[in-house]
Amino acid sequence: MIATLLLALGLQGQPQIATEAPGIVAALTQETVEIREDFDGAELVLYGATRGLTIQDEIVVVLRGPGRDLRVMQKARSFGIWVNSAPLEFDDVPSYYAIATSLPLETIAGPEELERSGIGLQAMLEANAAAMEPSWLLGASTAVDAAAPDAQPRNLPDGASLAEPPAMIRQDRVSEYLDAIARDGRRDNVFAEAQRGVEILDGGLFRATIALPPLTPVGDYVAEVYLFRDGRPIASRSASLRVEKAGIERFFFEFAHDLPILYGLFCVLLAMLAGYIANLAFNRR
Amino acid sequence: MQIYLPIAEISVNIFLLLGLGLGVGFLSGMFGVGGGFLMTPLLIFIGVPPAVAVSTGANQIVASSASGVFPHWKRKTLDLKMGVLLLIGGSAGSIAGVQLFALLRGMGQIDLIISLSYVGFLGVVGGLMMVESVRSLIRAANPDKSASKRPLRKRGWIDRMPYKMRFPASGLYISVIPPVAIGFFVGTLVAIMGVAGGFIMVPAMIYMLRMPTNVVIGTSLFQILFVTALTTLLQAAQNQTVDILLALLLTVGGVIGAQFGARAGRNVKAEELRALLAALVLAVCLKMGWDLVVTPSELFTILPRGGGEGF
Repeated sequence: MIATLLLALGLQGQPQIATEAPGIVAALTQETVEIREDFDGAELVLYGATRGLTIQDEIVVVLRGPGRDLRVMQKARSFGIWVNSAPLEFDDVPSYYAIATSLPLETIAGPEELERSGIGLQAMLEANAAAMEPSWLLGASTAVDAAAPDAQPRNLPDGASLAEPPAMIRQDRVSEYLDAIARDGRRDNVFAEAQRGVEILDGGLFRATIALPPLTPVGDYVAEVYLFRDGRPIASRSASLRVEKAGIERFFFEFAHDLPILYGLFCVLLAMLAGYIANLAFNRR
Repeated sequence: MQIYLPIAEISVNIFLLLGLGLGVGFLSGMFGVGGGFLMTPLLIFIGVPPAVAVSTGANQIVASSASGVFPHWKRKTLDLKMGVLLLIGGSAGSIAGVQLFALLRGMGQIDLIISLSYVGFLGVVGGLMMVESVRSLIRAANPDKSASKRPLRKRGWIDRMPYKMRFPASGLYISVIPPVAIGFFVGTLVAIMGVAGGFIMVPAMIYMLRMPTNVVIGTSLFQILFVTALTTLLQAAQNQTVDILLALLLTVGGVIGAQFGARAGRNVKAEELRALLAALVLAVCLKMGWDLVVTPSELFTILPRGGGEGF
């Protein structure tokens, strides 16, 4: 009786939903990921439901790790050896950034839209960089002073020289620095742009799987879920995740940070003991 | 089999770490050096953050030098008096070195300074040792010449220094200034290069202090033991960069390796031993020099800001 009623409601509701404002909800299958001594990466699953999903709608899931402040330096040859020079500083760059989508990202939305909403590795990094322009100008101008005119890095397009205005230097260089950050993250698998990863199930449900690599940073994560229609996000929702050390990992980490001197003494004594035991074991024979 | 390291925050293969400890421990026991000049670059190479590599390397050397020093203590091939003088200089030097390290890091070129120090010191020390040991090997092959080359008692400026002291274990009567100065200098390097400095101390003791080779290694290990213990404590207290799990794994391999190394060392002639050590030191020097010169595959360096990072 109740079942048929629900079914009837459901059937009745069907056309109504399409006219309703589209919405999205999502939940992670786990709210904390524990890093233990055998941690070698993990797979995170996010489930969600949409309201008013149509054929041309797509889903994008972004998982972003805790931010960290970076200093990026470019190597330049000077007196025959490679020297770090031209530092640029970036604040609050995500230590982890992964995207899962229901279709390849570039077919879901155009580059302008992605840039506007800051979705996608490139757009995210650019948005991050744009937020801190003033400090760059400073960094860039000192950087050029540091790189001697005769030791101009060769992959620098027509070399930013001293005479050029700081704004030009910034234009030339920043994208190279951002590319370097992206390369670094991809190398460690902490930046990942999966071409797919979101599966749309029946009834407006979907499931996203995101891989957490062995080098997953510890901290607070945010998963953002976007519903895209006609190349623009029309609804979004976020869920939080915590990656933390557990077990013996947590014990030693807290020991080292809460009682550093005692921890140091413990390390030294343990090492001396190990040396002594080894000596006994070997010289008894 | 992977293991996640709590302080280094990376996942590494256990057997790789055990093997690394074993290999470096073997060389450490054989030559009486801490092995830091090998261990630190190797740890960084496998992905351990430099700051953690330096501190944890020191902790591991505590264990391998402890296991190396006991047999010397028992066989009395250790000059305790000399060791204490070196240690006094070494402790002061390592504290001064920490200040210098902070200064260089503020200038943003610490990595380069470290690499250049490695190339410079390893090159000079390895080169000198190689020349000397090859010479004495040639001399050993022609016994008639060796007799004439023995007037080693040629007295230099070191003997004219004041505050002389008797060192019965080494059969020396010299000023206390050179051992303290050598200890200080080496202690500074401990802080800057993340090495125990045995590769400099051993030749300095042989060629400058003219200590007999049989007590040199024990004395060097003695000094290394306490300087690395101090370094570990300072690093743990200040920077929280000592990874106990990493140290423990390296130690298990290291102490075993050191025992085998000490045994192997006894079966090799001193000159040959020195030639081998020189070859090893030169090899590391060449490798680091090459890395400075060759075009790197990645032209950008990404450094964390604010944290206790940066070698």
